Amino acid sequence: MFVFNQMSKTLIHGEQAMTVGEARDLMREKRVNHLPITDAAGKLVGIVSDRDMRSALPSDLLNADSSYREEAAAVLHKPVSSIMTRNPVCVYPFNTFQDVLLLMQRHRVGALPVVDENGFLRGVVSGGDMLNAFIEVMGIDQPGTLLCILAPNQQGQIKKIVDIISDEGISTGSILVARGLQKDKKAFFPYLLTNNVRQVKKKLMEHGFEMLEPVQWYLDQLPKKD
Amino acid sequence: MRRTGFLYDPRFLLHETGEDHPECPDRLRVIIAAMEQSGLMEQLVPIKAEKAKQRWIEAVHHIRYMLRFEETCAFGMPSLDHDENRICYDTYDVAILAVGGILKAVDAVMAGEVDNAFCAVRPPGHHAESDRAMGFCYLNNVAIAARYLQENWKIQRIGIIDFDVHHGNGTQHIFEQDPTVFYYSIHEHPSFAYPGTGRDFDIGIGEGEGFTKNSPVLPGRGDEEYRKRLTEELLPAMSAFQPQFLLLSAGFDAHRQDLMSGVNLSTEGYDYVSRLLIDLGAQLCGGRLVSILEGGYQLDILPLLVTNHIKYLAGLR
Repeated sequence: MFVFNQMSKTLIHGEQAMTVGEARDLMREKRVNHLPITDAAGKLVGIVSDRDMRSALPSDLLNADSSYREEAAAVLHKPVSSIMTRNPVCVYPFNTFQDVLLLMQRHRVGALPVVDENGFLRGVVSGGDMLNAFIEVMGIDQPGTLLCILAPNQQGQIKKIVDIISDEGISTGSILVARGLQKDKKAFFPYLLTNNVRQVKKKLMEHGFEMLEPVQWYLDQLPKKD
Repeated sequence: MRRTGFLYDPRFLLHETGEDHPECPDRLRVIIAAMEQSGLMEQLVPIKAEKAKQRWIEAVHHIRYMLRFEETCAFGMPSLDHDENRICYDTYDVAILAVGGILKAVDAVMAGEVDNAFCAVRPPGHHAESDRAMGFCYLNNVAIAARYLQENWKIQRIGIIDFDVHHGNGTQHIFEQDPTVFYYSIHEHPSFAYPGTGRDFDIGIGEGEGFTKNSPVLPGRGDEEYRKRLTEELLPAMSAFQPQFLLLSAGFDAHRQDLMSGVNLSTEGYDYVSRLLIDLGAQLCGGRLVSILEGGYQLDILPLLVTNHIKYLAGLR
């Protein structure tokens, strides 16, 4: 899972020479919340977020006020470089998905510009791109059924489960594993791309796996009142 | 006592799905056996199946899909669009026969020959999209019936109530932009159950906004939850919509013994659902109602659930 699979490749970017007003219009027109800014050659120099734009402009609530127009006009004519974040956190196309998630979490940003080794802008990867990737990874863009299985906290459980699923000829969308939620037990959540789960459930139970009722299980995990 | 039509044809058994497939001919065999044994069959008005005219099917399904479906069966392929949608040489003909029978049941109700009807058909229909087979379904029986009511019988507002434990993705998609057909479904929550659609925030699109309603039920929940959701969500929605005819997608796989789902509806819970829906039909559209079999795979409980449902239709309970 690499950034180049997931990033927006249609390059929507501004140039250093742009004004704040031009950058705002471009972001509105293209409906983007982040606008990477490059120099004339295409090298990344900064990024403007929707928030940068909002803090730079006077409040819309002043719209009726005559001073609004003057103040707004003064801001809109300033160079975009005056409000952009310089040297933003960026990633390479061959960074992984996990890198992006951790970087977004650490730096609390909603999007990262993607650059090549020479610093030229190649794309943007946003929170929305990560959401799409997650939906794909979980397989939930395809019809299927989620099984909830409780297994002893021993090695080799997932193999047994996967073997039973494969023996039934069922394709798997994803398998999520929850550890440490219950002492000495692990919970497995295979998302199976089928409606036909009766046989596989029977087989799993025959092999000693416990099929969970997820709601009851969740309620059981909540701290008990004395 | 009401006059209740009953559609069944032994040719519905010719749709073979192979070994270990839950949607098997035995589903209908056990239902019919139970009905004959209990004498219920004699109390119903038989409806004979005949092939549906292509034009009614094409009110819902793309002609290209129909050609593909027909060819895939004729060429002896094992499945259509997904491994689990098993087919045989006869599947196409059986599916068209089932639709045709349902349209005759609709005719019988509209002509006043019966008060309501139950259609014991295979294959089921509510997962079928206009151009794709899904979840053991090939033709969307209930959707075709709704369009037929509108086009042939000039009924303007149709209410579809789907109590199969799985969401009727096909039916929802076919009508989600249409304000003349209200689709309501109660089913296991899509994060857990096939097909992964039917969330409570799906309420229709464009002109159809407000004419789709979903009540997803978390696994482990049962009678109490159904009672609550149906009275608080279905009843006000249908009362506001004022349907002139009710179609039921009747699935019996929400029963606690049915391993196809994690929802725990009891036999009495199913009685409650049947009674509530029949009362609703009586109150809103003079009892004009056709109930069409969808899922229900636990062969030792299915006949009881279906006969109970039919007894409510016929006013025998």
